[in-house]
Amino acid sequence: MADKEGFLKYKRQLPGSRSPEERKKDYQEIYKPLDPKVLNHQAARCMDCGVPFCHNGCPLGNVIPDFNDAVYQNEWERAYQILRGTNNFPEFTGRICPAPCEASCVLGINKDPVAIELIEKSIAEKAYELNLVKPNIPTERTGKKVAVIGSGPSGLAAADQINQAGHEVTVFEKDKEVGGLLRYGIPDFKLEKWVIDRRVDVMNAEGVIFSKDTEVGFNIKAENILHNFDAVVLTTGAQHPRDLKINNRDAKGVHFAMEFLGRQNQVNSGELESNPIHAKGKHVIVIGGGDTGSDCIGTSNRHGAASITQLELLPKPPQARNTLNPWPEWPMTLRTSSSHDEGADRVWSVLTKEFTKDENGTVTGLTVVDIEWKEENGRMQFFEIEGTERTLPCDLAFLAIGYLGPKSGLLEAFDVELLENGLPKSKNYHSSVPKVFLAGDMRRGQSLVVWAIAEGRECAVEVDKFLQGESSLARRDQSFYSYEETHD
Amino acid sequence: MAQGAKPGEGGQLPGHKVDDWIGKVRHSTPGVGLISPPPHHDIYSIEDLAQLIYDLKNANRKARINVKLVSQAGVGTVAAGVAKAQSDVILISGADGGTGASPLSSIRHAGLPWELGLSEAHQTLVINNLRSRVTLQTDGQLRTGRDLAIAVLLGAEEWGISTGALVVEGCIMMRKCHLNTCPVGIATQNPELRKLFTGNPDHVVNFFTFLAQDLREIMASLGFRTVNEMVGQSNILKEANGQMNHWKWDKLDLSPIFHKVEVPDHVGIHKQIDQDFRLKKVLDRKLIEAATPALEQANKVTGTFDIINVDRSVGAMLSNEVSKFFGSPGLPDNTIHFKFQGSAGQTFGGFLAKGITFELEGEANDYFGKGLSGGKLIVYPNRNANFVAEDNIIIGNVAFYGATSGQSYIKGKAGERFCVRNSGVEAVVEGIGDHGCEYMTGGLVIILGEIGRNFAAGMSGGIAYIFKENLGNINKEMVDIDPLNEDDYATIKTSLLKHVDLTSSNTGTRLLEDWEAGKERFIKVIPKDYKEVLRKRALENSKTLV
Repeated sequence: MADKEGFLKYKRQLPGSRSPEERKKDYQEIYKPLDPKVLNHQAARCMDCGVPFCHNGCPLGNVIPDFNDAVYQNEWERAYQILRGTNNFPEFTGRICPAPCEASCVLGINKDPVAIELIEKSIAEKAYELNLVKPNIPTERTGKKVAVIGSGPSGLAAADQINQAGHEVTVFEKDKEVGGLLRYGIPDFKLEKWVIDRRVDVMNAEGVIFSKDTEVGFNIKAENILHNFDAVVLTTGAQHPRDLKINNRDAKGVHFAMEFLGRQNQVNSGELESNPIHAKGKHVIVIGGGDTGSDCIGTSNRHGAASITQLELLPKPPQARNTLNPWPEWPMTLRTSSSHDEGADRVWSVLTKEFTKDENGTVTGLTVVDIEWKEENGRMQFFEIEGTERTLPCDLAFLAIGYLGPKSGLLEAFDVELLENGLPKSKNYHSSVPKVFLAGDMRRGQSLVVWAIAEGRECAVEVDKFLQGESSLARRDQSFYSYEETHD
Repeated sequence: MAQGAKPGEGGQLPGHKVDDWIGKVRHSTPGVGLISPPPHHDIYSIEDLAQLIYDLKNANRKARINVKLVSQAGVGTVAAGVAKAQSDVILISGADGGTGASPLSSIRHAGLPWELGLSEAHQTLVINNLRSRVTLQTDGQLRTGRDLAIAVLLGAEEWGISTGALVVEGCIMMRKCHLNTCPVGIATQNPELRKLFTGNPDHVVNFFTFLAQDLREIMASLGFRTVNEMVGQSNILKEANGQMNHWKWDKLDLSPIFHKVEVPDHVGIHKQIDQDFRLKKVLDRKLIEAATPALEQANKVTGTFDIINVDRSVGAMLSNEVSKFFGSPGLPDNTIHFKFQGSAGQTFGGFLAKGITFELEGEANDYFGKGLSGGKLIVYPNRNANFVAEDNIIIGNVAFYGATSGQSYIKGKAGERFCVRNSGVEAVVEGIGDHGCEYMTGGLVIILGEIGRNFAAGMSGGIAYIFKENLGNINKEMVDIDPLNEDDYATIKTSLLKHVDLTSSNTGTRLLEDWEAGKERFIKVIPKDYKEVLRKRALENSKTLV
């Protein structure tokens, strides 16, 4: 354990961020570097619990107390080995994970939890700085070939693991660059894209083949892939966005969030000249109170929007946990992102009624009504409050209300059997088609990056078992860094 | 006798957890660690255990004496012995328990499930017709009504639940009990952390109410009206065939556990009759009668009694009466002064309360002054004895075991294990056997003669003054040998004067006759940690004075 009284001596502390005024001018990292001493104190706050709930809180099963101890002892190589043992891409999750580990941190019962995500990011960055992240080229090759379709976090994790098992992996990506939603979804101010490039370079050196600009069913046929590869992993996510079926939804200026965000990232990287959807001087309404909505706010602010309003159907969550939502459950509390700090009006318990548009078909407003949530017949239902209907000025609207499931095309191309909810049928990451596997949002529906990585890793074990009969790859419940081996 | 989760291990309370309050409760020095060794130095046989049970029963006639055994092969034989040794309750402790204080290696790897030990103990007791005299308890991670029901069917009418209750209070199994950093304020002495305790007694009440309800429902479904009816009906248990997914399952034969011993009707299979301790005619009854003025009005009383070696635990019941009337402060010194003549049985002056002085002319058996609690014990040989007192053992082994306070002056030598686990008694003796002052945590011991080997092993508190020639017999692992200062000499001299006054000790007289030469014979044995705590405390006191 780090410092047995660390949690009594030090308070939770995160790195400071650049001021909203300053950071709104660019798309770069918003957090400032951290004093190493502060980081050491943050690691010292870990209590090394007898029953570490964080292990379970983390979908990857990260062995958190152990790497906290290593950081406290300044043993960066050990820290990275422990972290890398369960997480292929700590540099991603260290930046953009909502950190369910911290929600389940025992310290969170009556104090602020350990800053696990910060420590994770620091380990990853220190590992690159100290040149500890070296290509680990498999010494023996099995001669088996695996295709991974989709290069998001799940596909990359699966590819990394399957490659390390000795199989030859080709990753197919429909876009110009690798990364999926990491690259074309998450804004640069949350995840700068050199972070992805840096990791992809390592994977390249390890022998993973990346076939970019290749869309299955478009410039390569599913049959060819099935013919040329011993196993196929489908990881193209849940890209089918939920639509808002209200009047005048077809007005110009009403977009799905991802159209807006993806293009901005392309502009930032030079892939596109300018963003056809621009918020400068416009009244922007973001529909949906989640992370994607937040990203729309941050990007709109950077465009110089006249006003930004975020609407959420659900009531405003409480500031702190209530008795119905105790630790270690995921806290249903009010979350304020860095993008909110940059400026936006947030409205809760509000229902969208219809868009209004001018003679050119351009959106001019959004009519909304306040609602009240009541429990009726055993479930929560909402009721409009009379007399609260109003029209908000709106030049640009973004729909960030979730994803329904995988986009059509790929699953059909592989003739994979679907469930009623639109998700593919799967058992142990196998689809209904022999040698075709599923992982990530494509298999489980929209979720977190950390779940995508976890799915990619678990799926890789199944692929390896399918190809070799057994697998020595790590699983969540059979980590290389199990308790016995590190505590003797 | 041992703990199910960590059989064969003792316990340690690290010094930093012994705050003023804990120190007071434990009769030890705050800041000095406390070691509970795995063996009981007063118990080396079932007879020793029987004596301890008898002592405790004398010390509190209303108490049920409960002996905790560990679930293991052969525990049935041990349990039969314990039942014959007149324990009221026998607890069979299983391996699955253990809260955060037990070492992880033990929690994971040591001990056996309670089911094995309980069924063996119950069956053995029934076969030997001993079951009806004792209550059987079991523990070891019992948490549901089903656990309780199985325990009853295997023979237990009582159950111990602690991890479950702790979790209900907010324990999160941090396993940091030994570090004093329990973040939910349960196993910590840190006042800041204790503030974070959010446990609610109502939750514990609910937990046990639900447990009882759960058990009632199971009993109803099985057709039992009372727990007594259900105890030991192990034949109705069945293996969960086909439901176990474990490779070892095929090789298991549970029938010995489910076996129900067939016995005639007159052999009880649950607790029906109380143990008979035969306390009606013990010497203490006479002592209590003679002490009535003291007990009722704190008036001084004296008396003289003959004693022989079947008079065991003399003074324990009297002390019990003193405590009932006057609580732990007891009576003013020497309020009750009884003289005895003869050969005292085991545990003479056991648990003797403050205000009682026992003067014994003769000799005493083992456990002299066991658990001494403020009383005074004086021994000297029969005035007509023609042996040299300081060359002969006049009190037996394990004197002052676990004693907490009081004084004693012994003209003659003591046996082995003198003052083991003493935490406050001041004793003068003229020689002792092996293992003296082992695990002592407080008090003052002056030894005017030879000592056996392994002196002061595991000693964490208190001071011993011994003769220089005994240096080679000291176990120096935890203690320092320090030179004496004037305070030390004054302390020794005061004690010697009392010793000579009360016992007419020849050794004491000789030392005092030429004190300048006599005092040079002493060395001081003091535990390192204890010395450090004393030094710090002196420093703090001088600071506050400035």
